[in-house]
Amino acid sequence: MSLESGVDLTGEQPTDWSPRGKDPVAPWLWASAAFALLAVVFSGLSTADFIEHLDRQVHSIHCSLLPGASQQIGESGCRTVMMSPYSSLFRTSLWGGLPISLLSMAVFTYLVYRGVDFALARRRKKKLTAFLVVAWLLPLGMSLIYGFISYSKIGAACKLCVGIYLTSTLGFLCALVAQIKQAKGEDVGYDEFSTGSPVPFYLRWFAEGCLFVGVLVGLHLMGAPKVAKATEGCGRLVQKDDPSGIMISLGGTGRKSVALLDPLCPACKGFDERLNASGLRAKLELQAVLFPLDQNCNWMVKTSLHPGACAVSEAILCQPEKANEVLNWAFAEQESLLAEAKADERALRKRITERFPGVQGCLGSAKVKNKLNKSMRWAVANALQVLTPQLFIGDRRVCDEDTDLGLEYTVASMLALPEGGTK
Amino acid sequence: MNGPKSLILMLVALIIPSILVSLWLSNAKASLEQAGDTSSEIAVASVAEDEYCTPKLKGILRRVAGACGLLQEGGRGCQPANAKQVAAMSGDDFNALFKPLSHRAKIIQFDSAQVEMDEFGSAAVETAWSDQRGASFFFVVARASADGDQIFNQQLSQKRAEAVLTHLDQKFNDPDLKKQVGLLWLGEEYAQLGEEFCTWSRSREGECSIADINRSAFIAWIDCAI
Repeated sequence: MSLESGVDLTGEQPTDWSPRGKDPVAPWLWASAAFALLAVVFSGLSTADFIEHLDRQVHSIHCSLLPGASQQIGESGCRTVMMSPYSSLFRTSLWGGLPISLLSMAVFTYLVYRGVDFALARRRKKKLTAFLVVAWLLPLGMSLIYGFISYSKIGAACKLCVGIYLTSTLGFLCALVAQIKQAKGEDVGYDEFSTGSPVPFYLRWFAEGCLFVGVLVGLHLMGAPKVAKATEGCGRLVQKDDPSGIMISLGGTGRKSVALLDPLCPACKGFDERLNASGLRAKLELQAVLFPLDQNCNWMVKTSLHPGACAVSEAILCQPEKANEVLNWAFAEQESLLAEAKADERALRKRITERFPGVQGCLGSAKVKNKLNKSMRWAVANALQVLTPQLFIGDRRVCDEDTDLGLEYTVASMLALPEGGTK
Repeated sequence: MNGPKSLILMLVALIIPSILVSLWLSNAKASLEQAGDTSSEIAVASVAEDEYCTPKLKGILRRVAGACGLLQEGGRGCQPANAKQVAAMSGDDFNALFKPLSHRAKIIQFDSAQVEMDEFGSAAVETAWSDQRGASFFFVVARASADGDQIFNQQLSQKRAEAVLTHLDQKFNDPDLKKQVGLLWLGEEYAQLGEEFCTWSRSREGECSIADINRSAFIAWIDCAI
């Protein structure tokens, strides 16, 4: 069905925009298409980054509004956002899930097409451009929602995402201006649109949009790498019992699980945030085994990767009933605690005692040091890697590669297995 | 804006991202298949193995520990004659074994003919025990000075070694204690400490004679995977 065989949307007489330079609406349509194209680039880069990580390895990611700018490999807002559970859908049934950026790419590609198609039209109807305004409401609305999530839930912003939010807003405004200009009576209907309703056109264009999304989603579902190892795990605990009472309950009901944690390890903090955000934490009866990567108490590290981690671990062991409170505080204050310990560990110990007076007399004592040592010896007994975080569901170890993007899929798959067995 | 043009435009708009997405997915799949096991490059948690743990030292420690019942459950401690026999070395050589432990060892001093530790001795035992780090064995080597009867001194040194163990047991109630602590009591006749050990970390400050330093229990974690 082409526009020429359409219906009259306004009841007015059609105008043939000739010569084309006098068309007051087309520039705004072209502008909206240009912003959509820019958004395609941004969401395309995000999608490429996301898909690249489906090989379960660490890669650099694009983190600039300038296409082609250098990539970042370390921690950044872009990485935090990408690893957050809000970056994709259906994460428990597909490793990594279906990236939101892919949907975004599909929608913006469609808006490029629709904008160009309308701009190229020799004759245009008021309500045709109204469709474009409504279509732009989708990315605009999603931008508002995701901007709010970035600010309130994730606490980090991704530059490419900000680019998408901006182009969504500007694209929407261009479409709106086009519609306003169109509605000022400068245009009239097609001869061919003499009768009938615009609904069939809207439905057709909506279906086209769905086709764009459907094709890309279908390609992703068919082509995404299958990761069998994620469910099998990477090794098992050989001595999961706890005769020395070193495991700290972190709450939850469900499958017994153990997390090897360092309270001053940024990766552990990120892991904790992802696990909480995934909604799967409640399905795990989680216990923590402390494994500070701090040379002060851990003989397995050559240098103190996280100075002060021994002191914070002692504080947790001193008040196991307040483990969650101390751990959350350590995660929240991680940077300042690390800096303080690096300068003077005694100052850190004083700060801990001031914040948690209950640890006084216990922190630094022979007993708690002995207990912390046993905590690390539990790792020795199980021949664990000198690495945090590590998560064991039952006695099955979640592979390190599955603790970020594939966390939900892996945990959900492991929880679906019978306890201690295989599917 | 006619039908065929719109259709061509739509197809172009659809095909380009489809090709890109397919390409990215294909690359990810290939990369996943090629990825090796990087986990083998990460160190595995293990007990400590210090530089002084030469094969010779470890061999002797193992023989001493085995002969003294440390490597088996249940028995603990060994007679002075046994220690001398399994070590198969002079007293000076035996003491030399422990010299690399100067930064780890503590010498708990006792009053003459006494087996009770004072508060400083107890504190030093607790400090030493809590500084286990990656060590596997805690050695307690008790002695007596040459004053008095030889048999009495043997019994005295045994009781001094046991006093350390008892204090550890009461203080820490550690289920691993029996697997990790090895007691040796040497009495007065074998491997007496020289005055140079007065400079080591002791539970008492002040004067230190040969007799003082041998009315003692030498305690140290051994950082060797024996």
